[in-house]
Amino acid sequence: MSVSNLLSQYGDRYIQALLTTWKLTAFSFAAAFALGVLITILRVCPIKPLRIAGDFYVQVFRNIPGAALLILLVYALPYLKIIFSYEVCVLIATTLIPSAFCSEHLMSGMNTIAPGQIEAARALGLTFFQMIRRIVIPQALRSTVLPMTNLLVATMLTTSLASQVPMRPMDLTGLVSYINTHATGGVTAFAISAALYCATALLIGFTGSLIDRKVRILR
Amino acid sequence: MKQTSIRDLLYETPGPAARKKIRVWTGVALAAIAALIALIVRQFAETGQLAERYWSFFAKATTWRFLGQGLLTTLEAALTGAAIAFALGFTLMRGKLRRNRILRGISTALIEFTRGVPTLLFIYFFFLVVPQMGWKLSAFWKITLPCAISACGVVAEALRAGVNAVPKGQTEAALSLGMTETRLFYRVVFPQAIRFVIPSLIAELVIVLKDTTFAYVVTCADLMQNAKVLISNYDAMLSVYLVVAVIYILINYLLNKLSDVLAVRLHSPAERSAAA
Repeated sequence: MSVSNLLSQYGDRYIQALLTTWKLTAFSFAAAFALGVLITILRVCPIKPLRIAGDFYVQVFRNIPGAALLILLVYALPYLKIIFSYEVCVLIATTLIPSAFCSEHLMSGMNTIAPGQIEAARALGLTFFQMIRRIVIPQALRSTVLPMTNLLVATMLTTSLASQVPMRPMDLTGLVSYINTHATGGVTAFAISAALYCATALLIGFTGSLIDRKVRILR
Repeated sequence: MKQTSIRDLLYETPGPAARKKIRVWTGVALAAIAALIALIVRQFAETGQLAERYWSFFAKATTWRFLGQGLLTTLEAALTGAAIAFALGFTLMRGKLRRNRILRGISTALIEFTRGVPTLLFIYFFFLVVPQMGWKLSAFWKITLPCAISACGVVAEALRAGVNAVPKGQTEAALSLGMTETRLFYRVVFPQAIRFVIPSLIAELVIVLKDTTFAYVVTCADLMQNAKVLISNYDAMLSVYLVVAVIYILINYLLNKLSDVLAVRLHSPAERSAAA
């Protein structure tokens, strides 16, 4: 099929699929970021069991393959009488995995802060929360713009998991496999989806490096 | 070697009052974690998932031999995929560092393309379109090739970061000694660059290994696919998938640990931050 043929027949669906991918990406990333911050707080708090729990969480979700997690959520959890809709399962999987990486980035962002700064803050009599809010968090965020940009792209790539469950509306990957099993979309059908993914990734990357240049701390 | 991290520096040495508070909260946290675990175990018990028939077959050697065969295929696919990704990534990196504009442009475009497209899309491409084009591939290659292609852009960028981390003075020195550029690259720059990037290459191997779990799409008999067979044999979905997930997590965890250890071993901290 030619590009114009495909677009006239499936154009609306491609737009819908692109929006679905964007929506999944945005929701997952926002949730993953919030969860990542929370986990990071657990990992640096002075209470040992919580630190260990935070580390454990990160190791589990950093190392589990997306397909394995999704299959557990969709097919195995119902045996425990825990049943989520397909969309919720996908969202959980695409949130938990990036949240672990988010926490890792935040931890390494924090490690870029020179120990002297913490000592100086303490010498000036800043309270713990003042120190966290005024010194640690701003610097950790500013030095993690690029890793977070990459994480957003990675989150987008992870949302292709949605194609593994019969979810409606379909995402970009799901749509292509749908088109190719119902008609012969051939290479073109893939090329359109790939182009849309790439354009999104480039847009994210461009915006990210723009922000990074504005806020990066030169050392 | 214990590295001091910001994590340990954030707090002053606690005094008696703070120590007491920490003790109390440690107790509360332990109780909460225990409650959570109890809740999970109760859910397993109430739904009958702790029944012996769901777990007893893990005591059999045949179960593990079967899972082991799947794991072997998974590792084989991951290592082959990673090797191909390295070869492709190396080529793209060389292309991107050329002075020739066209070559540089093509390499950059291919790197961005493979980095911006999900592995699953490549897998469906090899599953649905490649056979239509009359190219008969075995299931093994249908999963290995897309995983490799999807990883090669990231590998190229990692290698490039390594090459750029080698101090410029060495290049200048080698050129002024009359080395050709090829010789300079393979004798001086690359051996150092590869040391910088070994940790990130291992991290990429983990990503390839994770991607191979999609092998069920092309019905390649990897760990995941063999797990499915076990499930239909013993009618035990939850226990098998849980065990398989734990196997994946452990392997990837060990690989990541190896990467961390090598990152510390191979370089001084200053070198590492230069490569990052």
